[in-house]
Amino acid sequence: MLEIQGLSLGYGGAAILRGVDLSVAAGQIVSLVGPSGSGKSSILRAVMGLQPALAGTITAGVPRDQIGILFQDDALLPWRSARDNVALGLRARGIDAATRGRTADAFLGKMGLAGLEDRFPGRLSGGQRKRVALAQVMALAPRLILMDEPFGSLDAIVRHRITQDLLVQVEGQGITVLLVTHDLEEALALSDAVYLLSSGPDAHIAAFHAIDLPRPRNLATVRADPRFGPLLARLWADLSAVVA
Amino acid sequence: MRRVPDWTIQTVAVVGVLGFWEWAARAGLVSPFYAPAPSAIGATLVELFAGGEVWPHIGATFGAAMIGLVLGVVVGTLLAVMAVATRPAEILLAPLMGALNAVPRIVLAPLLVIWLGIGIASKAALALLLVAVLIFFAVFSAVGGVDRRLIERVRTLGGGRWLVLREVYLPSVAALMLSSLRVAVGFAFTGAIVGEFVASSRGLGYLLSFAQSTYNTALSLAVVALIMVFVMALLALAGRLERRLTRWR
Repeated sequence: MLEIQGLSLGYGGAAILRGVDLSVAAGQIVSLVGPSGSGKSSILRAVMGLQPALAGTITAGVPRDQIGILFQDDALLPWRSARDNVALGLRARGIDAATRGRTADAFLGKMGLAGLEDRFPGRLSGGQRKRVALAQVMALAPRLILMDEPFGSLDAIVRHRITQDLLVQVEGQGITVLLVTHDLEEALALSDAVYLLSSGPDAHIAAFHAIDLPRPRNLATVRADPRFGPLLARLWADLSAVVA
Repeated sequence: MRRVPDWTIQTVAVVGVLGFWEWAARAGLVSPFYAPAPSAIGATLVELFAGGEVWPHIGATFGAAMIGLVLGVVVGTLLAVMAVATRPAEILLAPLMGALNAVPRIVLAPLLVIWLGIGIASKAALALLLVAVLIFFAVFSAVGGVDRRLIERVRTLGGGRWLVLREVYLPSVAALMLSSLRVAVGFAFTGAIVGEFVASSRGLGYLLSFAQSTYNTALSLAVVALIMVFVMALLALAGRLERRLTRWR
């Protein structure tokens, strides 16, 4: 679904990361973990064409309009209601107002936001805004979603619930995900594979782990799997090695 | 203890000051030549309206200020958009506007009278000049300050230039422009009245100039009160417009 080969990224000649090979099979959830400044987010931006590559190739198995991206911040239009924010992408596709209103309401309902369609982002909680941003992406029926620490700013309980809801939808629809995170436990719990990036400059892929935990997963119970503990310990050991 | 509402304190203060002033004037403590009693100013106001001769003056000032305000907003916005869109426009307009911003623009009033005559055109032009420079900088900096993340968001959702313009630039700029609008209302009246003060045959500025030349303090204060009421009413309107258009805040 997504193939990245020999990717180098940087600003003004200096590489923040070099020679990154990464592969995400269709329907998989793959995590990219690493210390801050290793260029994790830049990889996602490069996939979206928001940042030019110094070298290497990126091949997405789907057209650009089937790729969704969830940023670290929710970046909703403050002057648009939740409904209009969700409908934004549909509007870009020239879908008529009535249809996109109905679609937006349906996706907001799916995210548990029924009744809040007319609220402006300033009147929503942090978690609700994240759900709107999620609905905004899901409404475009993406085949591949890039996520850049999407729920990092939320408190633990809200984060857990929203991540579980997302997991159910992604698994249910067979959506491919490339997730950037610095939370090893989250990466492990969600992913089919974890790539570990060393610290920059000249960051590279320092380790790769295939995670063969069964699906569908439940965030609350997957941690109780006997394989979870040892895998997490290995990830931590690898991370400590590249940071030190 | 219940908190005394703000307006109660304000009313008491105003009534107190006016009462003291009235008493001081009647007791002969201040000369009516310098500070006529509030009742005398009130009587002058009543007289102005009773005869009906004040309306053409109000109309002249109001007309010049409104023409200057509307054209000033339009011209300021257009120039700012040009400066943002093209480099030649930016390198020429930014310093010019900066220079115009650096001088008190009312110094141009005599020149405008020479160029445009003592009619409404020179007053509207002065108001326009005051407003346009203000709006230019408001819009210019607003466009530069647009949230990049929102642009990126709309783009990654598949939005093209038009959608980015319509959904990100326009609302961001409008929000900042609306907050300058209240200042612009004051500027427009400053331009119109100063213009009239310099040379005219009508308008509230003309009345002020007439009051000054005849040492008519009561008329002068009456006109000041009149201008205050008008500008404050307009500011309230501008404030309502701003709140309405920025409901999302």
